[in-house]
Amino acid sequence: MNDLDYLKLTGFSKLGYKLKKFFTGIPGRLAGALKGLGLWFVKLFRGIGSALADLGSTFVHGDWKTKLSYLVMGFGSCARGQWGRGILFFLFQTVFNLYMVNFGVAYLGKLNTLGTIETYREGRKTVYGDNSFFILLYGVLTLFFVLAFLYTWYMNVKQNRVSEQILKSGKKLKSTKDDLKSLMDEQFHKTLLALPTLGVTVFTILPIFFMILVAFTNFDATHQPPSKLFTWVGWDNFRQLLSSDNASYGNTFSQVLLWTLIWAFFATFLNYFLGMLVAIMINKKGIKLKKMWRTILVMTIAIPQFVSLLYVSKMFAADGLINSFLMRLGWISTPLPFWTDPVWARVTVIVINVWIGIPYLMLIATGILMNIPADLYESARIDGANAFQMYKKITLPYMLFVTGPYLLTSFTGNINNFNVIFLLSGGKPLSLELSGNAGYTDLLITWLYKMTVSDTNYKLAAVMGILVFLVCAVINLIVYNMIPSVKNEEDFQ
Amino acid sequence: MASVSLQHIKKVYDNKVEVVHDFNLEIKDKEFVVFVGPSGCGKSTTLRMIAGLEDITGGTLKINDRVVNDVEPKDRDIAMVFQNYALYPHISVYENMAFPLRLRKMDKEEIHRRVCEAADILGITEYLARKPKALSGGQRQRVAIGRAIVRDPAVFLMDEPLSNLDAKLRNQMRAEIILLRKRIDTTFIYVTHDQTEAMTLGDRIVIMKDGYIQQVGTPQEVFDTPKNLFVAGFIGSPQMNFLQAKLVKKGQGEYAVNVQGITVPVEKKHAQVLEQKGIRDMDITLGVRPEHTTVRFDNPENAIESTITVNEMMGSELHLHVVTAAGDNVILRLPTVDLNDATRASLAAGNKLFFNFPGKVMHLFDNESTDSLVFG
Amino acid sequence: MSKKNEIPEVDIVIDEQKGVIREVKQPNLRSKAGHERRVNTGIYILLVLISVIWLAPFVFLVFQSFRSYATEDGGMVAYLLPKQWSLDNYRWLFNDPKSNFLRWYGNTLLIALFCAVIQTVMVLSVSYTLSRLRFKGRKLIMNVVLVLGMFPGFLTMITLYFLLKQLGLTQQGAIPGLILIYVASSGMGYYISKGFFDTIPKSLDESARIDGATRFQVFLKIIMPLAKPIVIYTILMAFMAPWGDYVFASYVAFGSEPNYNVAVGLYRWVNVNDYQGYFTRFCAGGVLVAVPITALFLALQKYYVEGVTGGAVKG
Repeated sequence: MNDLDYLKLTGFSKLGYKLKKFFTGIPGRLAGALKGLGLWFVKLFRGIGSALADLGSTFVHGDWKTKLSYLVMGFGSCARGQWGRGILFFLFQTVFNLYMVNFGVAYLGKLNTLGTIETYREGRKTVYGDNSFFILLYGVLTLFFVLAFLYTWYMNVKQNRVSEQILKSGKKLKSTKDDLKSLMDEQFHKTLLALPTLGVTVFTILPIFFMILVAFTNFDATHQPPSKLFTWVGWDNFRQLLSSDNASYGNTFSQVLLWTLIWAFFATFLNYFLGMLVAIMINKKGIKLKKMWRTILVMTIAIPQFVSLLYVSKMFAADGLINSFLMRLGWISTPLPFWTDPVWARVTVIVINVWIGIPYLMLIATGILMNIPADLYESARIDGANAFQMYKKITLPYMLFVTGPYLLTSFTGNINNFNVIFLLSGGKPLSLELSGNAGYTDLLITWLYKMTVSDTNYKLAAVMGILVFLVCAVINLIVYNMIPSVKNEEDFQ
Repeated sequence: MASVSLQHIKKVYDNKVEVVHDFNLEIKDKEFVVFVGPSGCGKSTTLRMIAGLEDITGGTLKINDRVVNDVEPKDRDIAMVFQNYALYPHISVYENMAFPLRLRKMDKEEIHRRVCEAADILGITEYLARKPKALSGGQRQRVAIGRAIVRDPAVFLMDEPLSNLDAKLRNQMRAEIILLRKRIDTTFIYVTHDQTEAMTLGDRIVIMKDGYIQQVGTPQEVFDTPKNLFVAGFIGSPQMNFLQAKLVKKGQGEYAVNVQGITVPVEKKHAQVLEQKGIRDMDITLGVRPEHTTVRFDNPENAIESTITVNEMMGSELHLHVVTAAGDNVILRLPTVDLNDATRASLAAGNKLFFNFPGKVMHLFDNESTDSLVFG
Repeated sequence: MSKKNEIPEVDIVIDEQKGVIREVKQPNLRSKAGHERRVNTGIYILLVLISVIWLAPFVFLVFQSFRSYATEDGGMVAYLLPKQWSLDNYRWLFNDPKSNFLRWYGNTLLIALFCAVIQTVMVLSVSYTLSRLRFKGRKLIMNVVLVLGMFPGFLTMITLYFLLKQLGLTQQGAIPGLILIYVASSGMGYYISKGFFDTIPKSLDESARIDGATRFQVFLKIIMPLAKPIVIYTILMAFMAPWGDYVFASYVAFGSEPNYNVAVGLYRWVNVNDYQGYFTRFCAGGVLVAVPITALFLALQKYYVEGVTGGAVKG
């Protein structure tokens, strides 16, 4: 189909064509992403390969200072007068060695079994054996540390080679003072990123890595250190969560996943369109007190959610304000099952989420509406468009274009929208139909929370976390590249 | 006071796209050099490499015989004026101009003296207390220039400084830059896409396209002796007319051009060059500048017949867009001062017109290489 | 922009087919104005309705917090206006030895203040670096953060808990512990301020660098003064977030009541303790938390709006 054929289509078949193109394109986009990942790994391994080659040739061609640096980190730097760098290298090596000897090696050695010595009681005294949790945690930490050490060691060698070359070409090396100065200038990014990178590595990357490993162990309520050991079980947990025989969570998982997607869809798009509508109303010419309306709506953003959502959740309870009010009026005789009937509960959380969500969208839409060039509307009016046509042909496409990335992040954000569900319904109503303590309004993320906190079923929580990640990643991969305004970030600059 | 030397300068983005290829240029002390070319020709990239804002992929850049490839911009002793002025919006004009001096920890008295002096030269003394937002475009550009001259830099870089101004202001600022240059007398490198700016400002013009230098020369040289079709078309307004023609060798050191049914002999001097190159009969592109054509109302021998399509009144002259019998579009220039009403009336669109040109104004270009057969 | 049902405003149009200028009947101006007025009235009615829905829960909350604990029940009742207005609940929060409210409030305020400072520094560092500086690995960092962001936040909760426990920062040490985990990964939330930095013309940095500034000086003297709105936005967000966090706070402080934050304390009153007895106290506590936060938020609303709209548009 060429462009002209496409333009001849009616609106409906245009949509059909686009949808078809979207769905037939999914495998291609996923394949493209996988290929990109593959290429990245190829590049990584090539990089490691060339680093190894560098190590070899530097050793062969380097002078004795360089050669000694292979053993004693920072020696070359110190010997060439770069004391600052040299001492840092040396300190790092010392700390690493001490850590490994006293600590690291022991944990690494047990990583393959996660501990074998059981804890037992000797009379009234408990004799603690291995602690699988700490073996895994410190094992991972040690692995990270080893990688960091290898990298630093490589940098130390490379440093020597570069210094030798600089000296050979007759130039002077940077002094420690120059190094410190460059941290405020050429190397300023290192200064700024040092702390955040450390924080993210220790408090995000390390824990995520750890939990991914937990998904392959039997760490749960019955295998709880320090009294019990846990160990590797391979893909068992994935099987348990995904397969649909009786003892497994497969049925529940698919129900919860489906509801999560439905929830994310409504929470995103209902809020989006209603918020836009409210913004259009408030910003209409001739409407007074614009600022006041906006401020009233913004109240739900300002007030901490645990206050507002908890209160509203109680308002809708069986003995809450709304039910007792309606009963007093005589409109109903039994309380409406806001939190006890699955369908009622689901609708209620979506509706209350509108109350929370509209203000954000109203603000965003207001900002964008102001940016739509007025002459677009003027020319449309001269062409004879009415209000609805202008909305359909100008406002909506413009909004969708600029907020494309926002819609995507907001969709994945809603998949992980813990607060609203947790504070409103807590996942209730529960049911015997659902296993693993899940309720009808539970999202994957609130279910994950329950598994962690109430059931201490860490292994399944870990599997679930990985699956949530996969869901988000797949959605992002499919949609991300279709959004026109994200294609090139530099375009904005 | 400095010379700038660019030797085999190269710029490659992302290991892929080469945007500047083997750029060689020696800029003498106190010279005013203009880089000119269409957008994307690499002129700004080259300037930014001189400034140190872009890494140099290959080659050697020297300022005053010092290799500065890896020197930070602040240590190159250069100043730069940006297209969008790049004034710091949160501080006053005075502080904007004092900023580079304060960073150099200059004495307060001296800073004050220099800022006032520069403001005086540029006529912005009364705006010193204002924020940049309160100034007009022209005033902002003056402040930007002022911020550059207070430092008394060795090299003065200007990146399309007049592009954001309207036409009238642009002409005025152009004249002011010429005056300014006389006063501060240092090395200037000026980037523009506007050939008029290039012609009026530059001691030498560097014409670029697709990352290659097309020609370097004084304004007169590039106008009179363009080395190739691109330079010929780029310099001069309205643009040079190009016609398909045949170069014919008439005898020893004698050539003529057959074009649109007329034959024009090539000037002796040029013919000798052709002879030396051993050129025989060949198809060429003939270039003739609009101002070098002669409009004929009679029907003389050896004139090309054409039909007027558009008649543009420019005030002191008319630009006549005509189409020849062979279907080529040509622009002719005609001074209005000697025209009487009857002649004017005869220049309406649709009327017939003849024009010709002498041999000495002809530019001959090789159809394949697009290089000039005579110059270069 | 106007959304009214438009009537052509031109009264003379050129009819191309006939090649004549013909007059179009100018619609009755009075009916046009009337239509406009009806639309606006409709919108006003809707807006008032929306406002009522939006404000009602908060008004109710305030009413109930003033209900007398002594003469009326402390639980939920079927009427709105207290029969007897009193400060019982507030008095209890402040004076009763059983109430840890002031302690919780202080804890939360302390956490919020620390976060406001440290998190802002982290976020601005990362976003400035990724927006203005070019270095090897920049794209990699952005991609890694994107991927990490797709993992659900609570996945790592137990790991974080045990990490903190090793450092002695749980239960009694919950407050520094919470500050640490709130702040540690906060650099990942750089998107919005990066979007803002991206809009500041690059030539300002370049000009300053030619003028003799180091990148640090550019950051401090040029970009930061221009980034005031986003700095305020970042501080506001960092300050507000700890007030609402229940999950991490309850996990880290578990069992150590004096180290709760307000969210944990109040949540436990209504959901774990006997909520019929604590409901009005919860309301009073909620009011005490909401009022200053809301006031702060409304005062700085301008910056918030700038932040969210900028962020949404830039992605």
